[in-house]
Amino acid sequence: MKIPFSWLKEHCPIEKSPQDVADDLVRLGHEVEGIETPRAGVKGVRVGHIVEMKPHPDADKLKLLKIDLGDVDHLAIVCGATNMVEGDKVPVATVGTCLPNGLKIKKGKIRGEVSFGMCCSEAELGLAEDADGLLILPQDAPVGEEVGEYLGLEEAVFDLDITPNRGDCMSLRGIARDLAADYGLPLIEPGDEVVATDDSVTTPTVGVVASEDCLLYRACRIEGVKVSASPDWLQARLIAAGLRPINGVVDVINYTMLDLGQPMHAFDADTLHGDITVRTAKEGETFTSLEGKEVSLHAEDLVIADDNSVIALAGIMGSEPTGVTEKTTNIVLESAAFRPARISITRRTCGLVSDSSMRFERGVDPGMIALAMDQVAHMIVGLFGGKVSATTTVGDADSLIKDTQIQVNMQRIASRLGIEVPKTADAVLERMGFGIEHQGDTLNFSVPSHRPDVRLAEDISEEYARVIGFDNIPVVMPPLTNIQPSKVDTGITDAVRLGFVQVINYAFISPQEQRLFVAEDAPQDDKDLVLPNPISEAMSVMRRSMFPSLLNTAKYNMNRQQTGVALVEQGRVYAGNMIEHTETNMLAWLMTGDVQQDTWYAKTRKADFFDLKGAVESWLQGRGLTARFMADDDVQGLQAGQTAKIFIGKSVAGYIGKVDGDLADGFDLSDDVFVASINLDVLHAGKKAKFQPIPEFPSIERDLVFLFDKGATSDAILQTVRKACGQHLVNASIFDLYDGEGVPEGKVSLGIRFVLQDGKRTLTQEDSGKAMQAVIDMMVNKFEAELRG
Amino acid sequence: MKEVDELKAQLQDLQNKALALFAEAESLKVLQELRVAYLGKKGELTSVLKGVGKLPPEDRPVIGQFVNATKTTLAEALDKAEVLLSDKEKQARIQAERIDITLAGRTTSRGVVHPVQQGLNEMTAIFSQMGFEMAEGPEIEDEFHNFDALNIPAEHPARAMHDTFFFNAEGDADAKLLRTHTSPVQIRAMQACVDAGGEPPLAVVAAGRVYRCDYDVTHSPMFHQVEVFKVDKDVSLAHLKGVLQHFLTAYFEKDVPIRLRPHYFPFTEPSAEVDIGCVFCNHKGCRICKGSGWIEVLGSGMIHPNVLKAVGIDSSVYSGFAFGLGVERLVMLKHGIPDLRLFFENDVRFLRRMGAK
Repeated sequence: MKIPFSWLKEHCPIEKSPQDVADDLVRLGHEVEGIETPRAGVKGVRVGHIVEMKPHPDADKLKLLKIDLGDVDHLAIVCGATNMVEGDKVPVATVGTCLPNGLKIKKGKIRGEVSFGMCCSEAELGLAEDADGLLILPQDAPVGEEVGEYLGLEEAVFDLDITPNRGDCMSLRGIARDLAADYGLPLIEPGDEVVATDDSVTTPTVGVVASEDCLLYRACRIEGVKVSASPDWLQARLIAAGLRPINGVVDVINYTMLDLGQPMHAFDADTLHGDITVRTAKEGETFTSLEGKEVSLHAEDLVIADDNSVIALAGIMGSEPTGVTEKTTNIVLESAAFRPARISITRRTCGLVSDSSMRFERGVDPGMIALAMDQVAHMIVGLFGGKVSATTTVGDADSLIKDTQIQVNMQRIASRLGIEVPKTADAVLERMGFGIEHQGDTLNFSVPSHRPDVRLAEDISEEYARVIGFDNIPVVMPPLTNIQPSKVDTGITDAVRLGFVQVINYAFISPQEQRLFVAEDAPQDDKDLVLPNPISEAMSVMRRSMFPSLLNTAKYNMNRQQTGVALVEQGRVYAGNMIEHTETNMLAWLMTGDVQQDTWYAKTRKADFFDLKGAVESWLQGRGLTARFMADDDVQGLQAGQTAKIFIGKSVAGYIGKVDGDLADGFDLSDDVFVASINLDVLHAGKKAKFQPIPEFPSIERDLVFLFDKGATSDAILQTVRKACGQHLVNASIFDLYDGEGVPEGKVSLGIRFVLQDGKRTLTQEDSGKAMQAVIDMMVNKFEAELRG
Repeated sequence: MKEVDELKAQLQDLQNKALALFAEAESLKVLQELRVAYLGKKGELTSVLKGVGKLPPEDRPVIGQFVNATKTTLAEALDKAEVLLSDKEKQARIQAERIDITLAGRTTSRGVVHPVQQGLNEMTAIFSQMGFEMAEGPEIEDEFHNFDALNIPAEHPARAMHDTFFFNAEGDADAKLLRTHTSPVQIRAMQACVDAGGEPPLAVVAAGRVYRCDYDVTHSPMFHQVEVFKVDKDVSLAHLKGVLQHFLTAYFEKDVPIRLRPHYFPFTEPSAEVDIGCVFCNHKGCRICKGSGWIEVLGSGMIHPNVLKAVGIDSSVYSGFAFGLGVERLVMLKHGIPDLRLFFENDVRFLRRMGAK
């Protein structure tokens, strides 16, 4: 909400600077988004008199102007507008001026003709969104005067963000009330001039059916109005407050809404048929808004209707055909109280927002209903003439305006704030309109009609906190309640320690990306969680796989001069439908391109399956877990022969594999891409490390080399070896793999290294010999392996 | 010439020759061979000694002394030569082993924690140390936990402040949505406590991803929040200020001034927005803080009685404070990161730079 300072001063005689007032508003809980200075914004723009206008010799659409600014010499200006004539007065931005849109005026040459400034439109002066041609000033505008001063532009305008609980502050009066209370200054009461009613004008007949939602409805009829544009001062105020002038009647209503906070509406009486009824809409009824938008209504929408049709959505907007125009002569004026929740629901279902609905939703002071209506009638008659009928009132105004009484214990407020409430706070609250009476610890608090947000003891504590000032609340550390064992999840830091860069991607991906690693479900068990209102198609489905986002990140980086990336991401994947869905915590890796670049000690090398497998194994080992990798040729998106399921015990914990080449190509990734994922939710805690004595007796190492058929897996061989060796085996590993020259076709030479040890004695040659023989026998029997040299 | 003199002369000869050879020796290996050749069991000195037996008994001790003296002389000379040589050889080896120590060390490539994760880790660690227990909640939430229980009923204007990703029509009996803040974890943690028959005190920190349907230079549709709350008897606004001051000082690693501004949130009463003294200009006023010297960092307040009521905690006995902060925002302020979008572009050059501390 925009608050022109000069207008604010009409409600309260403030003498502070705009910046000081802004600081005080912040302290009182009103967020100041900025202080605009419209007049300063057009400094250097002066009233110019067009003394001569000639066509540009080289450009049909340009004019050469001679401008009198009251200085000795006339100014030559090249101008592209067409709406001015010789003798007009226009705003002229002189050289050096900086316009609100950021344009800095310089001396220039346009098609060979020198120009020493610019004639401006409303838009260029920041007075309107857009404009057609120059702003033509009245003939009596004094030549050479600053346009900002001549137009009476505001010196300062506060741009406030009013919180949703403070409907009362959606007006000049509301803001002034808070400031006046804080400063100890008087709040100037609005004028009480009332137009004498004229019995010759028929009072409108109003029926309120939906009395739960329409708490009070007042209406009067004004006849013989000559609707014309509102006066300049009024238009200037509306513009400064961010509203567009429309016509005299509408402007007066809007002005009063800004001034006192009460939204009102005027109908063209001659477009109405019969009486006015406030009721809920009938299913299927439609309504055409002032903006020309047609909406179909629901049974819960509150409407104002005549005998034929809906003439307004209560508290939101009038209908187009019944609106006041320049041709209107008779009007019906409405000032009412509607239930905020009802307005809020209709506003949302109809998708119509207005200055009126914003106020009704937040709560309007019913105390202003009559006063605001009187002010509007008074202004309309004064400015545009007319005779006013007596007012029809439906509803109990007195009970609506009555103060609300709350009783609370002062100690509760003190305990909630952590400070004893100082006596001075009461005086400020009383100036804000609250009634305060202390009886021992009991506080009898009466809340005026403009503060429907204050209903509970806690609300009162907030009012006290505001006037005490949050800065004056002490800083106290609360007592420690409980110490919890630290459960720091080191999953991601462990992965990072293995050389991976952690990335964080959005949880939503495109439907196409979803299908890369997850097949489409049968329609009846669709497990894609789709966002109906996504940011874009590319972010419209909750991911069921971590891989698409990782591939995108790899693509992004490989396109930016990286020769290889190793990425890791921790996040969730989502599947299911509205009734049942899952969120699973995942850790996922991606490696592609160089794992080693050329250095003085090593040659460049590209990532392969075992680089990633090693990382995954190390990560699992770090949590005390050992995995088994089982080849799986049937994982969508991953290449057969280089893909495995990862088992922890009997459960599948994840997958690792090479991304299908064509799929990787789709992400512009030309090097092999390897990905892995682990479902963190299936991992058990792993064994806690337990002490074991360091073996006393030395271990012995033995090597055996066999020729195996290709296809024998090291996993199967080592498992067999473990069985053969028996209890003395500490470790068996493949130390050599060779299938080059000297190895027959279809065979592979594998070197196995054994470490044997006994906890109670030093092993002998005989012990190791026995074990090796057992291994050789098993290898021959089971794999038809042949011992080499 | 007496035999004894002859032997003496012979020994003297041997000694002279040996000393000359020792001096000429060029390596420890040669020296070792010479030691064997002269002092070994079958060495020259031994063979000279064989002649001693032929001497008359009275001459034997004389010659014996002489032999011993020669032996000592030779042994000492050998030791001395050995020290000299080994020293020389060591020097030569050191010279030969000289390397360019300015060459790059052998490394494997280092990983980095994402700056947002780093921030999350630092923040949750501070709150853990202050006795707040970690909690988690689902990202796909229902309207009850995300709105209703937090005192934001359907018609509440504050709902418009959350640009919510709904999965189905808002207001459906079981409408699902992506949580717009981590506050639903507050509800879940309190519910869990009450359902288990427990009662406050409760002190909880919950971190996680949240979603808003808003995407521009300063908004990301997904970001991270940390939610902190405490419910106990006599919890006050002063306690909230205490925890905030401690946290912000610990996180920014310096004394930052803080300012609470009265504000409105449906789930707290009183509510306050919290500013810190601008970390870019040290509270003096600059372009980033729009000249005010203050930067808004989080929203906070005393838990609204309706929130406690929604989970079955008696608000006449218990009170609590709560606040939620945007992780990205604090990380940006701490490290001077100019653009929110950098976090989700995941450019490894940026990530490595930020991970360098």
